[in-house]
Amino acid sequence: MRRAFGAMLLVAAALAQVTWAPRLEVGGAFPNLVLLAVVAVTWTLGARSGLVWACVGGVLLDLTAPGPIGPHALALLPGVYVISFWIRNLEHPNALHVALSAALTTALYSASLVLTDNLVGMPVPSFGVAAQLAFAAAVYNALLMPIAIELVRRLQTLVRLGPQPT
Amino acid sequence: MYGARAQSRSTGLFLFLCAAMLLLAMASQQPWAAGARGAAKSALAPVEGAMTSLAAQVDRLTSVFGDVSSLRAENQRLRAADEQLRRQIVELNAAAKENASLRQALNFQKASGHRLVAAQIIGRGPDSFSRTMQIDRGTADGVQPGMVVATGAGLLGRVREAGPHAAIVQTLGDPQSRVNVYLSKSNLQGTVSGGPASLAMEIQHALGVTASNGEWALTSGVGGGYPRGLVVGEIASVTHRESSTSDEAQIAWVNDPANLTFVLVITDFLPS
Repeated sequence: MRRAFGAMLLVAAALAQVTWAPRLEVGGAFPNLVLLAVVAVTWTLGARSGLVWACVGGVLLDLTAPGPIGPHALALLPGVYVISFWIRNLEHPNALHVALSAALTTALYSASLVLTDNLVGMPVPSFGVAAQLAFAAAVYNALLMPIAIELVRRLQTLVRLGPQPT
Repeated sequence: MYGARAQSRSTGLFLFLCAAMLLLAMASQQPWAAGARGAAKSALAPVEGAMTSLAAQVDRLTSVFGDVSSLRAENQRLRAADEQLRRQIVELNAAAKENASLRQALNFQKASGHRLVAAQIIGRGPDSFSRTMQIDRGTADGVQPGMVVATGAGLLGRVREAGPHAAIVQTLGDPQSRVNVYLSKSNLQGTVSGGPASLAMEIQHALGVTASNGEWALTSGVGGGYPRGLVVGEIASVTHRESSTSDEAQIAWVNDPANLTFVLVITDFLPS
């Protein structure tokens, strides 16, 4: 049940990512719904779940992107890994922490994606363009993250996935 | 103690997944995996097509609701009549827009003399770094990687990858896109490159000739990457650089990828 729900959530996020999200483009960036879902899962279910679902979500994104299958999954992992330790050590998490976790994950995702693409011989944008787009996406995702985490928490309660996070 | 063990298990899982994804990326890039990769990517295409259609319908619906909310102050009878008329207008506008785009495509097909395959856009690239689109035609319809993609208005990009029933198009807006062009009035040559905000053009200097705003940039065919004569865009602004061998211009692209629904794949031209 839990896995089916997670898979459905990520498939929906990936499909919305490539069909609806580009309509919300601001400053060359648009929200990364899969990244938001994965960060929300990390907040609610912990590091290991976050890492596994980052892989699943990344592969789904790779299926809609040019090039090999794996770079998006690989790019999502470092961000989830880093924020999972940060989250674990927070005593009183608030909306600002949630937003910052999305911004940090986006920055690490963007850097990892460019590096991975470079590693597998895919074309990569110049540093200036990549930095500009990564910054815009980080701000965008940070603004949407509190809404995303609330949505995932409500969905989690709805399908009785497990105990609520403290 | 428990925290340290959990941390160590997470680190182990992280390293294992990183290695697995890196191996997957390298393996799926091999020529022998191209068929399986294309088939896997085509698997999502029908659902993407359905989602894109749903998004278009929601757009129409929300525009009707937007109009209705602005008419709340008016009386009930007029509001009902207006609602009905507005819905009709939105539907007619949508149909007219689609008709115009199809008619433009048909005219382009007749005028260009190329063999074309019409395709519907079913998705966009998942990240901002690569400006790509997914279309609902693939190798089964004669679409091959490298083929040029256009609309009735002009050049859109190139097929990057093709699966059996879907293909990924790299648009000119992609920062990696480059196309050699010439200008309609001055005949100056240059290269148009993609960018996050607009297309940029490097114009080669020529003695006594300068580029001016409003000139059209068309594919020159130089390099064999694109057929000659496809419209790319209009010069919006030119920055003259005396100390350099080239000027810089901003190009207003004839295509707005955000509003496109149909494209044409030129199937009888492959880059040399």
